[in-house]
Amino acid sequence: MQDSPLAVLLSRLDFAWITSMHILYPPLTIGLAMLLFFAEWRWLRSQDELWYRLTRFFEKLFIVNFAAGVATGITMEMAFGILYGPFSQAAGPFFGQVLGYETITAFMYEAGFIGLMIFGWGKISRKMHLFATFNVALSSSLSAMWIMDANSWMQTPAGVVFKDGIFQVTDWAAALLNPDVLLGFPHMLLAALELALCFVAAISAWFVLKQRHAALFQRSLTHAIAALVVVAPLQIYLGDGLGRVVADDQPAALAAMEGHYHTYNADGSVDTSWQVIGWPNAKGDDFAWSISIPHALSLIETHSWSGKVTGLDDIPAPNRPPVVVPFYAFRVMVAAGFALVPLAFWGLILMLRGRLSPGNAPAQRWFLRAVVAGGVLPYIGVWCGWWVREVCRQPFVVYGLMRTDQGVSHMSVVAALFWLVGYMAFELTVWGSVWYFLAKIVRQGPDLASPVVAEGNQPLGHLEPAPHDPAALPSYVRPI
Amino acid sequence: MDTLTQIQTLVTFAWWLALDLCVLLYVVLDGADLGAGIFSLFVREPHERGAIMSAMAGTWDANETWLIVAGGVLFGTFPFVYGATFSYLMLPLALALWGMITRAVALEFRHLAHQRWLRFTDLAFGLGSLTTTFFGGMAVGAVLQGYPLTTTPGQVPTYVGGALRFISPFSLWTGAAAVIAVLLAGLLFVRARFEKAEPIRRQAASWTNGVFYLALVAVGVTLIVSARLFPWAQLRWFGPHMWLWALVPLAVLAVVVRMRAAMRAERDLAAILWFNAGVALMAGAMLATMYPWLVPGTWTIYTGASPAVSLFTFTLAMGGFIPIMLMYNAYQIWVFRARISALAAYH
Repeated sequence: MQDSPLAVLLSRLDFAWITSMHILYPPLTIGLAMLLFFAEWRWLRSQDELWYRLTRFFEKLFIVNFAAGVATGITMEMAFGILYGPFSQAAGPFFGQVLGYETITAFMYEAGFIGLMIFGWGKISRKMHLFATFNVALSSSLSAMWIMDANSWMQTPAGVVFKDGIFQVTDWAAALLNPDVLLGFPHMLLAALELALCFVAAISAWFVLKQRHAALFQRSLTHAIAALVVVAPLQIYLGDGLGRVVADDQPAALAAMEGHYHTYNADGSVDTSWQVIGWPNAKGDDFAWSISIPHALSLIETHSWSGKVTGLDDIPAPNRPPVVVPFYAFRVMVAAGFALVPLAFWGLILMLRGRLSPGNAPAQRWFLRAVVAGGVLPYIGVWCGWWVREVCRQPFVVYGLMRTDQGVSHMSVVAALFWLVGYMAFELTVWGSVWYFLAKIVRQGPDLASPVVAEGNQPLGHLEPAPHDPAALPSYVRPI
Repeated sequence: MDTLTQIQTLVTFAWWLALDLCVLLYVVLDGADLGAGIFSLFVREPHERGAIMSAMAGTWDANETWLIVAGGVLFGTFPFVYGATFSYLMLPLALALWGMITRAVALEFRHLAHQRWLRFTDLAFGLGSLTTTFFGGMAVGAVLQGYPLTTTPGQVPTYVGGALRFISPFSLWTGAAAVIAVLLAGLLFVRARFEKAEPIRRQAASWTNGVFYLALVAVGVTLIVSARLFPWAQLRWFGPHMWLWALVPLAVLAVVVRMRAAMRAERDLAAILWFNAGVALMAGAMLATMYPWLVPGTWTIYTGASPAVSLFTFTLAMGGFIPIMLMYNAYQIWVFRARISALAAYH
């Protein structure tokens, strides 16, 4: 049990900071790897050079993002033990195993093929390269699966008993297929794809808007928008499903993110109203003011006119999560998700009318500007979604079973501050350089001049000179 | 804590071997990258420093990932050790991680940076490598010394001793020794990865001799200090099987002689392999000395093991995934095997 509330709060901030700064990168890695595979596959099938140029251009952006993801991600695995030692010990039998599987089956798998994907052009055959890209996409998705499984188990800890300070696994299948992961993983995976599509669409729209390589980027723009027409509504559907899992399994979390303070109104009737916005009073047991829509909450959560939704007043006071952060983060996430739907359909209508053809696209200035601006929406959505998820689970680290103050390491305030300040400096630097270099690559534009890579049958040189000729130089010096 | 069944005891032992393998692979593979990074601090020409980074560009990520895999195995199989030890090592790990982040960012972004920033990225790369190595070495020394645990009934013993306990003359020494050993690995790597006529390769070759003897001294000092400091080491080394243990330094010596011969004959790959064989031999001997302790005096591999270890998951990982990992790792290193010249560009 950690005594100082300030040290506990700082430990939470420490972890919140490193996770928030890490989740900026992996979704793009996951989603963009899928899109790169698609583009490269189209190139090999059609032999159309445009697909090749698009692949090579977006791969440059991918590399910058990937490097930042690795740099910030290495910390994550160590941070569980450093900042949350007692939690790691207690949850290790399940949680540690799952993270272990992530590193063995996904992380290493990805690292093995990413080197080939980035530096293998022209050294390995085209088909082998496509295979490497495919493996990067698959392994990064696998990685997301394990991570989401571990995190979902913290939300809905099934299949374990908490005995002698350890979570003992009684049912592996139930723990691995806990209620939250069944929708939590698809929701995150689709978020990654949606984010990558918006990223590609925004950059492509910027080029089209500037009339640079418009013919090239018109293609990536229209393909991304067409995919978004399917992905954006599907994501809302999955999000709604996940919301109902939360309502069933984590009533306190749902009450916090909806700002639902009372199960019943003062007159004894079921409180069915959904708060659009509001602000808690000084005591924190109700909203001081709010705008609400009657019956909307019951409709959303129970799909009935006046179904009962557990309010915070039915949760014992020490177990209530904070309200303001999840309440607003949830609203921002939902708004971001909903905003992408009309954007995608606007693009679809333009496409159907032929307004986004290579010749016409640059004229759609307002649409293109909207797509560029839309590039940030999924990032905001991912951040807010995670804040909802993690803050709503408080004051527990494993929902309902282990409290956060039982799980944190015994750090002094100074040590926790040292970590926070250090990581603020490092990760802001990483973030700044990522922005700087992404912008630089985009400004430079795609490389259309260098020849398309060959099949990769160049001699690679040799490791050791032949014994009879110690001074022999390799017959070919590789370009790296 | 529940006691382990007989099968679980065996599986735990096997996982411990797997953990050792991952750590050893990390030390051997990333050690060369880190050492080349430290060496780059002493390389004058910016394009040569860039070439050092290019030489590892295709493989550094996979090499570093062995550390993550080791962390994953530790967390999965020995969660009690993981949770307590990493709290104990908060400071050196944080500093080593910052070194790694700096290094990764400098390496990946250098080719995009403007000319006038190159001095900065190169310094960041070199200092990042140095920090990672030194604090990584300190962490190893601190682990060898062990740490106290809480004894609250009904709870897993954990570490509450504060953030500075890891600092000791011994851990400072292991940090320094790590820098020396890794520098030697880096020099061998540079020798093997560059065209024979390149000036940078000649610079590395001229350094190798001095660093080689320094490393030899460092190993000797570490051995003597360990024998004096640690009762668990004395018990093994000077116990009933003393003559068996005396064979280890002889074997190491034989390997070192072969390595020197390979270095002299400019058979660079052979030199690296002999060096790695020496590291593996010494690491194996050290682990055998420590057995059954994972953290001497604090955790044995059996008290630290998860009660959920099972033959099934172990077979899955060891029989399926780790051999595949080794295969594609080897393929990747094979693709990026040839010597390069300092003029080689990043892409």
